[in-house]
Amino acid sequence: MKAVLVENLEKDYGKVKALKGISFEIKEGEIFGLIGPNGAGKSTTLKILTTLLQPTAGRAEVFGHDVVKDAGEVRRIISYLPEEAGAYKNLTGLEYLRFMARLYAKDEERSEEMVELGIRIADLGERLKDKVSTYSKGMTRKLLLARALMVRPKLAILDEPASGLDIINAYTIRKTIKRFAREEGVTFLVSSHNMLEVEFLCDRVALINEGRIVESGAPGELKDRYGAENLEEVFMRVIGVEIPEPVGGEGS
Amino acid sequence: MSDFWVLARKEIMNLVRDKKLLFGLIIVPLILYPAMGKMIQVGFEQAQEETHVAIVNFDEGRYGELLIKALNVTPNVTVTVIGAESLQDALEKASREEQNVLVIIPSNFTYAIENNLRAEIEIYGIFNTIGTGMRESVSETRIRAVVDVLSEELAKIKVKRAGFDNPEAVLESVGAVSKSVIRGRIVDVPPSIVSSVLASQSLSLPLIVFLMVTITAQMSAGAVAAEKENKTLETLLTLPVKRRTIVASKIAGTAVMGLVAALAYMIGLRNYLGNFQADAGISLEDLGLGITPEGMLLFAVIVFLTIVFALALAMLLAVYAEDVQSANTVVSSVILPLAFPAFLLMFVDLSQLPAFARYGLLAIPFTHPIAAYRYAVTGEYQMMLLSIAYLALVGGATLYLTARIFSSEKVLTAKISWGKGKKGVL
Ligand SMILES: Nc1ncnc2c1ncn2[C@@H]1O[C@H](COP(=O)(O)OP(=O)(O)OP(=O)(O)O)[C@@H](O)[C@H]1O
Ligand SMILES: [Mg+2]
Repeated sequence: MKAVLVENLEKDYGKVKALKGISFEIKEGEIFGLIGPNGAGKSTTLKILTTLLQPTAGRAEVFGHDVVKDAGEVRRIISYLPEEAGAYKNLTGLEYLRFMARLYAKDEERSEEMVELGIRIADLGERLKDKVSTYSKGMTRKLLLARALMVRPKLAILDEPASGLDIINAYTIRKTIKRFAREEGVTFLVSSHNMLEVEFLCDRVALINEGRIVESGAPGELKDRYGAENLEEVFMRVIGVEIPEPVGGEGS
Repeated sequence: MSDFWVLARKEIMNLVRDKKLLFGLIIVPLILYPAMGKMIQVGFEQAQEETHVAIVNFDEGRYGELLIKALNVTPNVTVTVIGAESLQDALEKASREEQNVLVIIPSNFTYAIENNLRAEIEIYGIFNTIGTGMRESVSETRIRAVVDVLSEELAKIKVKRAGFDNPEAVLESVGAVSKSVIRGRIVDVPPSIVSSVLASQSLSLPLIVFLMVTITAQMSAGAVAAEKENKTLETLLTLPVKRRTIVASKIAGTAVMGLVAALAYMIGLRNYLGNFQADAGISLEDLGLGITPEGMLLFAVIVFLTIVFALALAMLLAVYAEDVQSANTVVSSVILPLAFPAFLLMFVDLSQLPAFARYGLLAIPFTHPIAAYRYAVTGEYQMMLLSIAYLALVGGATLYLTARIFSSEKVLTAKISWGKGKKGVL
């Protein structure tokens, strides 16, 4: 069964056309990357898949459930890490994980199991007993990632999971995702504009630009096809920007 | 635990841990109000302590002495007779001795009384330090009371001498005994007292309803806006929980806090007002106006429905705000004008208003608890049932709209309709 099926998805925000008909598929157990520059429509796509927004046209399914008609069912099997997200400031990290676990688990035992897993993923030690309001950005991000993964969703949708983090934290977060995918068999949909991150993480990627998917495939395959050294170059070639020499650093 | 309880518990925990909120909701009414009342009461008590009166007696006859004796035996009054040459001299002496009242008995006092002329004394309140002036005024009242008794007694003697058997009947030819008829029953209490008991009820009730509605509305709007401000809303909306449940749990969470706050305000206000009106000593029950358990139940239902309406409306409005501050502004500017007409009911009786004004007022849900309280007192339960039907309708419709908007993407994008969508482009 396909984990995700997106067909001719369109989304207008008033006059702004954020998505102009995109289609892609994700196989079960894959880590799939949606990559593209700022404003390309990555978050919009993810928000439609997480049932937060309604598509203007086209359709999207998660494990066979339509995201509009079957929104409740979709929410039961996904978990979402928004691009910009916070946790309840007046709760401690641990209380936050407990609160979330209780909403997913049907009994106390299962929910404690989830919390245990969450504690391991968050890796915040004693600080988990402090209020979220005292956390740094990186700590909050780890807590949120932990809460997204601990429920062992069938599909985890992560919007720029490592955004705003220093290289060490970004690195550990990517490691965590990769290990989790391997060990738990969870399907991942990850958005990013960091090509390095994507190359490290993803089995397959789709390049999105100005609301359209411009290319897709496995990172290695794409690099071969365009004779490029990295995904950044692939992207530039695809959108037709000629660069005399590769430029290092983050692509955006 | 059901999803509803998990969410509601989080809501309450979040509110309880909010120090600012806790201060405004519990500390202020429970500690500050009574403290304020106490302060004012201390002022009253001080005023009611011993009155120190200085008296200068210029009178040579026996009536001057008599007045001094009468004042001397009056409770709470201490009399100091001082000798003085003139008014100026007397005032200086009294002032030096920190007396707050000086009474001057003129030299013609006895002469005037004996010759059936009007005798007059002079009372000076001496304001040494400018305080509230309460002492001076209390002293004056006490002296006047003594003078009134004295003058009445003298009048009786004079009237008797003039040959009347029953001096009281001459001095007060017409007397009035006032009673009240409440719900067809004669009660031995003057209408003025009944009215003041009712007034004290109708003063505090609208105030409490008003406070409760505005506080809980602000809280629930804040609870929604805080989800946006702290970026927790998107996560919340993707949880495997029905949107209805999310709305209901927020309403329940804030309603619980609202009730706690209302209780605190009620106790605080009662203590505060209690400092002023301990005297009446007559309750509604004494007047045969007690509320039956049925009436109380109906009243509680009406208050509950009103709060649910306020909460649902506030959440609906909060959807259009981006942060807590603008949510507060939006809610204040809609709920306050709606809640304000409830105060009109402090002064007017609904049944005496022209029909259009009456229905106009009753169209506003917030007037119902106040009207309902009166109906509960008078036992007009059909009117209360009508209120319940109306509130259930309006509250239900608002709740439905709120749940609808939470089920749509509007809850995330509603601000766009104000033409300033600024998310996305970095
Ligand atoms: N709430 C909104 N209202 C109006 N326009 C929006 C809104 N959200 C996004 N857009 C627009 O839709 C387009 C796609 O935005 P989106 O957030 O999906 O981009 P993105 O690929 O996630 O970018 P980034 O890398 O910056 O996160 C942008 O042009 C953006 O301005
Ligand atoms: Mg984005």
